[in-house]
Amino acid sequence: MSQAPEAPDARVAPESSEDAVALLMRQHGDIRNLFDEVEKTSGEARADAFRRLVHLLAVHETAEEEVLHPMARTAYAGAEKVVEKRLAEEKEAKELLSRLDGMDTEDPKFLPQLLTLRTEVMKHARAEERYEFLHIRRNSSPAQLATMAKALRAAEATAPTHPHPGVESATKNALLGPVAAIVDRTRDAVRKAMGR
Amino acid sequence: MTFNPLEQRGIPLDRQLRNWREMDVEPIDPDHCDPYTRCRIIAMNGIETEAVMFSHQFARHCPDPEVKRQLAQVRYIEQQQQKVVNWLLPGLSSVLETTIAYEQVAVDLTAWVARAEPDLYLQQAYQFGVLEDFDHLYRYANLYEMIEHRKADAIVEGLTEVMPGRPTKFHHRHPEDNVREPYDRTTANPLSKLHALTIMSAEQQTMNFYMNVGPQYMEPIARQLYQEIALIEEEHVTHYESLVDPGETWWEQLVTHEYNECYLYHSFMEQESDPRVKAIWELHLNMELEHLRIACDLMRRHDGREPQEIVAPQLPPVLTFEPNHGYVRELLDTQMDLTTLGTGYVQEAHERFQKLQEQIHGGEEPPSERVMAQHRQLFGGEYRSQPSGEHPDMASRERKE
Repeated sequence: MSQAPEAPDARVAPESSEDAVALLMRQHGDIRNLFDEVEKTSGEARADAFRRLVHLLAVHETAEEEVLHPMARTAYAGAEKVVEKRLAEEKEAKELLSRLDGMDTEDPKFLPQLLTLRTEVMKHARAEERYEFLHIRRNSSPAQLATMAKALRAAEATAPTHPHPGVESATKNALLGPVAAIVDRTRDAVRKAMGR
Repeated sequence: MTFNPLEQRGIPLDRQLRNWREMDVEPIDPDHCDPYTRCRIIAMNGIETEAVMFSHQFARHCPDPEVKRQLAQVRYIEQQQQKVVNWLLPGLSSVLETTIAYEQVAVDLTAWVARAEPDLYLQQAYQFGVLEDFDHLYRYANLYEMIEHRKADAIVEGLTEVMPGRPTKFHHRHPEDNVREPYDRTTANPLSKLHALTIMSAEQQTMNFYMNVGPQYMEPIARQLYQEIALIEEEHVTHYESLVDPGETWWEQLVTHEYNECYLYHSFMEQESDPRVKAIWELHLNMELEHLRIACDLMRRHDGREPQEIVAPQLPPVLTFEPNHGYVRELLDTQMDLTTLGTGYVQEAHERFQKLQEQIHGGEEPPSERVMAQHRQLFGGEYRSQPSGEHPDMASRERKE
C-alpha cells in the first residue's frame, strides 16, 4: 500500500471517533480532492467527478447552515457578524454552483468557472476553520459536539464522495438530482437526526 | 555563464524603498503552483530572516554609530524584501500544508547542498541531517491526512518522496553531541561557506516557524508532534551553525551574508517557472548587489582587507531545486542507523545517547510514533508516496496488516 491509491477515498476513517469540527475539516479536504479530480479528468470521468462534487458541496453547505452556524451564532457576542459573512459566502458559492451545474463539463468555459468556484469555496472553508470552528470547539460541550457530528453524518450519508459501482455514468448520477433537491433532502435528514 | 557579483552594479540604496502598493504582492495559488516555486519562496524567506536577525546582532555589538545607521538603512530594505517574499505564500494554505512544504525544502535543499559540497566532513553533516528532515515530512504527511483528509503528494507532487527516514524518535541526542567542528575560514572553499550559511538559515527559519505555529493547533496529537519536531530543529540549528568558523569577523560575515543572497536570488531567477515570481527574484538580486557593495566597503574600511580574499571571484553553479529520489535512497540504504558522538558519527547507541533517550521519552512512545499509530488505526495503514519504488531499507517497508 505504498502508492497512494487512485480513488480519493479508498480508505475511510471510522466515523464514530470524530467530533463535528474534525468531520467538517475532513469534508473540506474531500471537497478539495474532488476539485482536483474534476480538473485532472475529462469526458465521462469528469462529468461523474463533478456530479459528486456538486452533491458533496450541496450537502456540506446545507449541513453547515443547519447545524454549525446556529451554534456558532450564540458562541460569543459579535459571532453573529462572523456567521453572516460565512452565509453570504455560501450564498455566492451556491449561485456559482447552480450556474456551473447546468453546464457541459467539456464546455471551454467550464474549467475557468470551476477555478473561480474552487477559490471561493477554499476561502470560505479556511475562514470557517479560522474564525468559526475555533469558537465552536471552545464553547461546545463534548455532548453537543457529538450531537452535531451525528447530524452531519446523517447529511453526509446522502453524498457519494467516490464513484458507486454501477453509477459511473453521468446519466445515472444525474438521478441524484439538481442542487435544490439535494439541499431539501439534506435538510430533512439533518433535522430528523437533530430531533427537530 | 560567469557572474561576478563584486563587479556588478545594483540599484542605488536610496531608490530601493517600496510603497505599500509595491509591497502588496499577489500570492501563489496553492493548488496549481509549481511546488518548487513554493520551495524557493520558503527558502528565500529563511535567508532574508537570517539577514535581518544577523544585522540586528551586529548592531548590538557595534559601538560605531555611523555603522549602526548604515546597517539600519540596509536592514529596513531587507525587511521589505522578507515581507514581499514571504507574502507570496497564500492565506488559503493551512499551517500544516505550509509545514509540509517546509520539509520539502529541507529535503531537497539539503540533498542538493550535500551533493555539491566539496568538503567531506561538511558533506557528511548534510547527509546526516537530510534523513531526519525526510522523516519529519513523512510524520507530518500522516498528520495532514488525519486532520485535513488530503494527501501530502498533492503538495509535493511526486518531486519528493514521502516515506520513513531515520526514525524521528532517535533524533533526540545529547546536546553536546550536536556540536560539530567548524570549517577553517582561511582554507575553506568559498562555496562551503555559502552552503553552511544557507542550510543554517533554512533550519533556523523552520525552528522559528514550528516554535510559533505549533500551539495554534487544537488537536492534541498535532500540538504534540509540533513540539517534538520543533525541539529537533533546535538540534539542527546547533548542528549547522557549529560548522561555521567562529573566527570570522563581523565584517567578513556581513560580506558572506550579502554574497550568499546574491548567489541565491541569481540561482532562483535562473530556474523560476513563474514569471511573476521570477521578476521578484531579479529585482531583489539587483538590490542585493548594492547591499554587497556596501558590505564590501565596510569590510575594507574596518577590517583593512579585500573582500576578494574571502569570496569566490564568480558565482558557483546555480543552486537548484530538483528531485533527489536516487540520492536520498542511497543515504537511506547506508546511513539510517547513524547517530553522533562528540563531533563525529557512530552506528552504536552509546551511553550518553541512551541516557537522553530514556529521559526525554519517559518510558512512553513519543508523538512521532503515536501519530503513526493513530493513522494506522483510522485508515488501516500509513500514508506514503514512493514513486521510485519500495523503501531501500527492508526494515522500513510498511508492515502489511
